[in-house]
Amino acid sequence: PGDTHDAARVRSAPAPVTDVARLCVCDLLVAQCDVNCCCDPDCSAEDFSLFTTCSIPVVTGDSQLCSQKAAVYSLDVEANPPERIFKLIDQVNPSIFCIHATNYKQALYLKTPEIPTPENFDQLLEKFGGASFRAEPDSWDLDTDAQNAPETNETSRYEYGAPVQTEDAFLRLPSPVVSSWCSDANPAGFLVNQATKCIRSVSVEKCDSIQALSMLFYINSSILAVPKSSQMVNITVQSIVVQAVNGMRTLLSSSDVLRLPMVLDELCINAVLGVNYHITHTDTGEIIEAAAAFVLGAISKEALSIEQSFEISFTQENTQPVPLSGNPGYVVGLPVRAGFQPQGYPFPAAFLFAALSSNKHSQLTILQSTSTQDCLAAQGARAPVLFGYNMISGCKLRITAAMKCQPLAQTLLDVLKGQSFPEYVASFGNSQAQDVLDWVPITQLHISEQMISYTLQSSCQIPVSLGIEVKWTKYGSLVNPQARIVNVTATITTTTLKQLPSGRERIIPITSSVVFTDISSPAEPSYKAWPTINIKLPFDFFYPFV
Amino acid sequence: SSQLSSLPLQILLYVNGIYYIFYFLATLAMIIYKSQVFSYPDDLLAPDLAVLFLMGILEVPRLYLGFKGNLTEAEAPLGLSLGLTVGSVVLCVYLLLWQTYVLWADVLLNAVLLSAYGLESGLKVTAIAAFVS
Repeated sequence: PGDTHDAARVRSAPAPVTDVARLCVCDLLVAQCDVNCCCDPDCSAEDFSLFTTCSIPVVTGDSQLCSQKAAVYSLDVEANPPERIFKLIDQVNPSIFCIHATNYKQALYLKTPEIPTPENFDQLLEKFGGASFRAEPDSWDLDTDAQNAPETNETSRYEYGAPVQTEDAFLRLPSPVVSSWCSDANPAGFLVNQATKCIRSVSVEKCDSIQALSMLFYINSSILAVPKSSQMVNITVQSIVVQAVNGMRTLLSSSDVLRLPMVLDELCINAVLGVNYHITHTDTGEIIEAAAAFVLGAISKEALSIEQSFEISFTQENTQPVPLSGNPGYVVGLPVRAGFQPQGYPFPAAFLFAALSSNKHSQLTILQSTSTQDCLAAQGARAPVLFGYNMISGCKLRITAAMKCQPLAQTLLDVLKGQSFPEYVASFGNSQAQDVLDWVPITQLHISEQMISYTLQSSCQIPVSLGIEVKWTKYGSLVNPQARIVNVTATITTTTLKQLPSGRERIIPITSSVVFTDISSPAEPSYKAWPTINIKLPFDFFYPFV
Repeated sequence: SSQLSSLPLQILLYVNGIYYIFYFLATLAMIIYKSQVFSYPDDLLAPDLAVLFLMGILEVPRLYLGFKGNLTEAEAPLGLSLGLTVGSVVLCVYLLLWQTYVLWADVLLNAVLLSAYGLESGLKVTAIAAFVS
């Protein structure tokens, strides 16, 4: 039902069909007969005789009306040739709550969409022109103030994934959307560590007017400490690294001077090539600090686009920013965390300060096989042990007659175990160094390959294999079990090095392996005890009989 | 006989009062049901609810005046009650024909109420005639 205006326009929406006799949903081909479509007007009687069934047996109006028309299509297969039967019947809704009449025309029909005209085009474009739109208008506008923010639950803290809000809209982390070009509309999610790279088109002449190349663009709006509050956290500049045209990077000593892009000798200097945000938050979801580390570089005249990289990471206050391997249980594929205990730990006085320090990456590592397969030339390449992944690696050791046993044994031990083999392994993926009970000690075993003591004990034993067995169990609830490491055993197998005649050499393989074993006991569901009624009579209830 | 009060009118007024309570609650429940199940914009819901509550407010004096007039054999309250009945009839016709959604149950309830009003009006006119003469 278009109004009279529509007829005057060049294009108008087609009038909706509401007559059940003319409505045919299976009529898809224009001017051709659709197979098994009994309501298709393009089909002739010969076509109907070839159908097997009617794909649409009945077309009705709104079934909530008390009585509506229904068109029933069926095939009479008894007749020869089969023919289509079309009946128009009145269908009655027996419910007492059927709609007898309605004075609101739009109730039963879909709304006709607005036809764009030169007058309403701008308004329609604003409403529907973005990548997505919602049923309620102005719900995610970039330039509305904080009061018009989306009607999410009024929480007084940030939750995982919630966009980090700033004074004007939200903290932007430019990232590639659809193509590799930077889109500035990507909000950073709380506790979502992201690293993105995207390409931005630049021109050296206008480089001081392109906002996205200037440091100010990334730090000028302060972050709201909690959503919809007036508490602001300014973004401080943590460090500035200047990258020269040849790629060499220099860390600037003073990072409090704001360096804005400007054109110098056909180069645009101080253009932002990368931003690294570090946000510190409390454990109640409030942001307390924000810092940004910049990489500034120079754009040459010929460059039409540059690649910018952005990163954001969240750290809880008063904790070390150690990457978690799970929260709380280990996630398959993430590195197993390990560490040492500092000297003097066993004394209870030192309990508070005895944080377990870790080696550089605080991970358990095993020997990494190299292409040369030479143990002595391995250069200490190590691979982190990933939870749940059984690994085996190795190298070949070439023994000559000239090699001395003791130094060789020590070198092999270093090759197998690495420079600093940890003493403790974190039992949960998020174990903090302060919680000493969350760390499992590594049990070290020595096995000698040759048990038959033909050779004397004092003869040379060299380690040939390191086997780490990690026993883990499922911990916690039945529906969401968390992986927890219970026991770690490192077994060094040694073998006797037989003295070689001079000039000969031998190659022995050295292996190291990691095996993860699931020792979880079968889960037993446990139920809460039935509540008992605990009634106690007062002491003198039976007075005066007692 | 010396008693001019109309017994049928009294009975009808009494039954009308009880039926009206049921009618009011049922219609209100159905409007709530309609607003949940169908698309019922606020600017159409407000008039329907207003009519229902207005009718409820009118009903109380209408029935009270009817009882009083019939029992005291006075024609003034009975005449006032008749006037209020006319208003109630108009509102009842609105709910029967011009509501946003008229369900089959609505039709039944309003038809019964209308017939009760019609019968009542007839009996009131007869009673007034009896009192006046």
